[in-house]
Amino acid sequence: MKELRYRFSTGFFIILSLALLIFGGNNTSLMGNIRSTTLDFFVSVFNVVSLPLEGADSFAQWMQRVAIVFSENERLRNENEQLKQAQIISSQLAIDNQRLKRLLNVGEGKINTIAAARVVSDSNSPFFKSVLINRGVNNGIKKGYAVINEDGIVGRIINAGYSSSRVLLATDMNSRIPVKLAATGINMILEGDNSPYPRLSFLPIGEEVAIGDLILTSGYGMIFPHDLPVGQVVEINDKDIRIKLSAKLYNLNYVSIVAYDVLQKLPDAFEGEVKEEAN
Amino acid sequence: MVALDNKSGIGFKAGIPFISTVILILLMQLHYKIPYINNIFPYFSLLAIYYWCIFKPNLMPMSAVFFLGLFQDILSGGPLGMTALCFILIRVFVIAQSGRFLEREFLFNWLVFIMVSIVYGFLNWAIASLYLKETQNLWNSLGQSLLTIAIFPFLSLMLSWVNKFLATENR
Repeated sequence: MKELRYRFSTGFFIILSLALLIFGGNNTSLMGNIRSTTLDFFVSVFNVVSLPLEGADSFAQWMQRVAIVFSENERLRNENEQLKQAQIISSQLAIDNQRLKRLLNVGEGKINTIAAARVVSDSNSPFFKSVLINRGVNNGIKKGYAVINEDGIVGRIINAGYSSSRVLLATDMNSRIPVKLAATGINMILEGDNSPYPRLSFLPIGEEVAIGDLILTSGYGMIFPHDLPVGQVVEINDKDIRIKLSAKLYNLNYVSIVAYDVLQKLPDAFEGEVKEEAN
Repeated sequence: MVALDNKSGIGFKAGIPFISTVILILLMQLHYKIPYINNIFPYFSLLAIYYWCIFKPNLMPMSAVFFLGLFQDILSGGPLGMTALCFILIRVFVIAQSGRFLEREFLFNWLVFIMVSIVYGFLNWAIASLYLKETQNLWNSLGQSLLTIAIFPFLSLMLSWVNKFLATENR
């Protein structure tokens, strides 16, 4: 009898696991809700448990800074001199840019920073690249919003609970981000493949890419604002072009969640023409 | 089949194997900020499941193993049921062999764990490859298995302290 019960429970749980695996994908709303509720509860636990790690990390960084304080000071002084000159040039370019945009009636996208969040958990899996942040629907976060940090793009929200959200990293196999070459503006797609160096695909025939080329977001996906730093080309071979992301995904601390709304309103001059044609 | 101990004799402490595994699962999900560590992060939870299924199988029933696997799947963002299925299969193997394990010493358990850990890594890789419809990097799974094998002595020592604590309470 005991043997029969054991066999029954084993079979039952194996079938249940297989059923979950086959039918319980992220798209199922019930499963999504169960995930969100569990994560909402455990995000506070992660907040507390990760405090010693945060402390150790801060201490290590402080030690590093103390060790290189003199050489760092010298380097920063030189850099400051260069930046002062670059600032003068960039302000002139900004004025020019604004004037030209006004002439061309360019419709700009609007970037709303929804929230800043702390990364509290990592999937720590070679097959699924995602992190958990401690902000959710209560803070205005929605599924699909872009996640960035001071260095560049990080990923996008794939699941938002009340007080936690899951971020699909740009290196994940399911991540696709529209990008462009900074120098020529050629549009491509950044494809994650679970490796630390995602690949670029859909390079038009005849176009060339070189190692060291900068990659920016194109803004076409309507998720990431345009011209955000993505990374740099580090490897080109027969099969693919690989880039190193600007953001260090293994060392995420705080991230920003942004919503990108392209202005739907037509420029005033153009709107006038449309009205005239309608009349 | 394994002879069942008396659960009621140790009261609420019967939940310690389950709780210790939950803690290890939580530790597996922390953000460690070490480059490439997430590709070869050791399977703490596998080690705990293996240990408790050998030494306290009655306190780590099939339902508990299933929920622990599901819990790990939820926290890690992986497909639901993947880890649960692997844990169940590992439990079935350990319970089938438990008569042999219980008689042997640490080194024998470690040697068996080498095989269990590699099979678990392979299972994970196979399920992930099927789920993602693309062959994944097997070396990462192998790296995870090897690292788990390497930490087995330390973690099993800690779990043995917990086990001794349970045994003292049981007397």
